[in-house]
Amino acid sequence: MAKPDSLGQFEQLVLTAILTRREDAYGVSIHSKVQELAHPKPVSLGAVYVTLDRLEDKGLVKSWLSDPTPERGGRAKRCYRLEALGERALEESAVTAKRMWDNIVEVWGKQWVKQWSKKWAAQ
Amino acid sequence: MGSPVRKMAEALAGFLTPPACREEVLGDLHERNATAVSFCRDALSAIPLVVFSRIRRTADAQLIVLQLCALCLAYWATAWFGQRGLIENTNGLLRLAIPAALVLLGVLFEDAYANPGRRSPQHLVRGPLIGVALTFLSQVALWMFHSQLMLPLAISVYGGVLGLLLTSALRLLFSPQSTSPQGPQTR
Repeated sequence: MAKPDSLGQFEQLVLTAILTRREDAYGVSIHSKVQELAHPKPVSLGAVYVTLDRLEDKGLVKSWLSDPTPERGGRAKRCYRLEALGERALEESAVTAKRMWDNIVEVWGKQWVKQWSKKWAAQ
Repeated sequence: MGSPVRKMAEALAGFLTPPACREEVLGDLHERNATAVSFCRDALSAIPLVVFSRIRRTADAQLIVLQLCALCLAYWATAWFGQRGLIENTNGLLRLAIPAALVLLGVLFEDAYANPGRRSPQHLVRGPLIGVALTFLSQVALWMFHSQLMLPLAISVYGGVLGLLLTSALRLLFSPQSTSPQGPQTR
């Protein structure tokens, strides 16, 4: 099986958004999820498109056009789903992030985690 | 929702978005924005990146380098045989590089805006033709605002024709068909 490339942070966010949106992963829904994940940083729709194209070129996601819907002015959605390579790449990123988190907590302590959680929840 | 301004903005956005991704981008913009103002703001921030992404997907680096070399050679050879003094002048090479770069720009944009569902042999010549047209427009602009950088008409014409022939031949030999998986495919 081919080994996936390492992912950039924004690519990780987009892949996570596709994973969580499941069957409903298309431009608008992916963008709103990425915005939620990247909070408080603003995310532009164009940046999501560029990343989706790049992920598709890398073979990490697959896309197809759905049927047109009236709420979209009679236009179709381009839906996305993770390919096996994309799932592996995301898994590797998640494991690395977990390892990083554990090491940070080990050094900075549980008190820092509490403070950090409060600070980010308030934003 | 259906105001004339909104309709006009949607039509303009549709014109500016490459056909390969027009359907989903316009649909997303329509769904996200209720007002014409927010639609325009969203479209202005998204479409340049969509075009950039399309150029990245359709551009073949090796073919671009080959075409750039062919174009530079075309203008340089025309100047060499037509007006050799131009090459030795200050800004001589810059004056020859401007049209070559513009033809290449035309080719890049034509490839990005080509409809993947309707590929024809004309497409291979259309890009360089648009580029040559851009070159003539740029010469008019230079004549109006910065005449020191303008090329003599004969070099513009013969260089443009030679460049057109060379780039079209290269595009016939190494077809710039996009290998990107994105297209109007369904599940």
